[in-house]
Amino acid sequence: MPSSYKLSYTKTDADLLNTLKSPSKGYWIALFILSIGLLIGAYGWGSQIYYGMGMSGKNNPVGWALYITTFVFWVGIAHSGTLISAILFLFRVRWRAPVYRSAEAVTVFALMVAGLFPLIHLGRPWVFYWMLPIPQMGEMFPNFKSPLVWDLFAVFTYLTVSSTFFILGMMPDVAILRDKFKGWKKKVYGLLALGWRGTDQQWRHYTAAYVFLAALATPLVISVHSIVSWDFAMSVVPGWHDTIFAPYFVAGAIHSGLAMVILLLIPMRKWFALKEYITDHHLASLAKLMIFTAFVVGFAYVIEFFMAWYGGDIYKRDVFLFRAFGTYWWSFWGLFLFNFILPMLFWSHKYRTSTFWLIFVSVGVSIGMWLERFVIIITSLSHEFNPFAWGFHELTITEVYIIIGSFSLFFFLFLVFSKILPVVSNWEVKEVIEPPRKK
Amino acid sequence: MSAYKGPHILGVYATIDELIDGIRVLKKEGKKRFSVISPVPHHDIEHELHPKPSPVRVFTLIGGLFGFTLGWALTYYATESYPLIVGGKPYISIPPYGIIAYILTILFGALATIAGLFFNARLPEFVIKDAYDERLSSDHFAIQYYGDTGELDAVENLLNKTGAIELHKKIEEVPQKKQFVD
Repeated sequence: MPSSYKLSYTKTDADLLNTLKSPSKGYWIALFILSIGLLIGAYGWGSQIYYGMGMSGKNNPVGWALYITTFVFWVGIAHSGTLISAILFLFRVRWRAPVYRSAEAVTVFALMVAGLFPLIHLGRPWVFYWMLPIPQMGEMFPNFKSPLVWDLFAVFTYLTVSSTFFILGMMPDVAILRDKFKGWKKKVYGLLALGWRGTDQQWRHYTAAYVFLAALATPLVISVHSIVSWDFAMSVVPGWHDTIFAPYFVAGAIHSGLAMVILLLIPMRKWFALKEYITDHHLASLAKLMIFTAFVVGFAYVIEFFMAWYGGDIYKRDVFLFRAFGTYWWSFWGLFLFNFILPMLFWSHKYRTSTFWLIFVSVGVSIGMWLERFVIIITSLSHEFNPFAWGFHELTITEVYIIIGSFSLFFFLFLVFSKILPVVSNWEVKEVIEPPRKK
Repeated sequence: MSAYKGPHILGVYATIDELIDGIRVLKKEGKKRFSVISPVPHHDIEHELHPKPSPVRVFTLIGGLFGFTLGWALTYYATESYPLIVGGKPYISIPPYGIIAYILTILFGALATIAGLFFNARLPEFVIKDAYDERLSSDHFAIQYYGDTGELDAVENLLNKTGAIELHKKIEEVPQKKQFVD
């Protein structure tokens, strides 16, 4: 954190309590709008279950359509949280302290939303347990050679580890709330604080556990989206069968995650008066990281085309030409513009520190990263080997309802979290400021 | 889970410098049965206490090894119990099973880390039985000293001299387990 900070232990506590004050009218209005979005999503999913999968636009040849697109999008969004909370922690990056709690919340909530999409995509969500390693008749387990089973293990592990890291990180802050509040709030926060007192022995074990959890979560940042990418890369579909997919997906995931973190931090610091914690320096640091991830995804886009040409596979070459100049050309050029060209604005200090441009570019990157998954899934499946089997995805209103519902659920969870739990890691901010000393 | 370890005194300090003075004086007097409470871990406190590495790492290692073994065992058993030979190839396949083993290593490593933290830090403790001051989680520090009543009086003087702003004493004995008499 910048040394110009004039924070004290007392002030950080006062600011923490300030974030948990009774919500404003605007908060309730936002919550109401998101609740309507949630109901729309529930209606979409409910009608799909009732009337059948014909309500969704997925059909031959595009059998994986917007649900898997949105699943990959949300898993991607989850990644920056762990990058900021675990990897930057291991590298002792000091500016992560005030922003990591929100980033970790993004991870947990995005994974919760992402986890719904395979269930929605299944059509009969009540048989989801067929994917779990429970033997069926005749000792028959799920096929462990299938990337879809790896994916289930990876996403479940990621959700468990990141939720644990999220909850564990909050324990000392919840103890502050237990000690500050009276009445029923004291009882509730007291239960959540699990009797935390901050003794040297507790801190000794806590900091050790924190380091180990960070070290265990770090390979997950790399592996989870690599495994998600293998859902595609392990198949023979032209446009999917690429060795570059794993690093390409990981970089893209972090790219979109950073955009989402910026999108949530900017309104949060305004509404909760956290400008002293989340400064322009923090947002500019996130923007600089986005330049890096933009270059990685940009390189992947170009190298994919190069390999399509250099590999000599006529089917693959045709799919890539179809991506750029076929029916879905707008999505391909859109992703290139949003994910690579737009973040280049952040080379300029002026754009990195401008709230408007940070939001503008982050919204652009979020749209771009959704388009990237759309391009990968839809264009490849609609233009496979046999021209007689070519076809397009036809968007249905049910899919739109469900996607609206997913975004509403994510923001709803974040909004509720921001009013009942500390959005800034108080104890980690205190770690980087001067403790009370004798005058 | 009870963390109560018997009669003790809690000396509350407003600054870290006075807390460090208090720790130094107790060490100089040869008094070792104390713990320090602070809102954050601080290197000045660690410098005085020289904590040993936490045993949580052993839990992490055991959990990770368990997960790794479980991953291989589960996939091996699943394939052996329902062999499905495709194209005459060996049906036990190392690369995909390695992925499951890798993921379960992380999953069980993390769960065991949490178990190790709770076990070693004596958490959860839903009712705090030791003397406690509500400022300790935010901006105050404390030394908690365990001893018999006479020793606690001597320590009380030492804590007062080093700048403790408030003292809380708890002299309840640890409840003894009931003995069966025939």
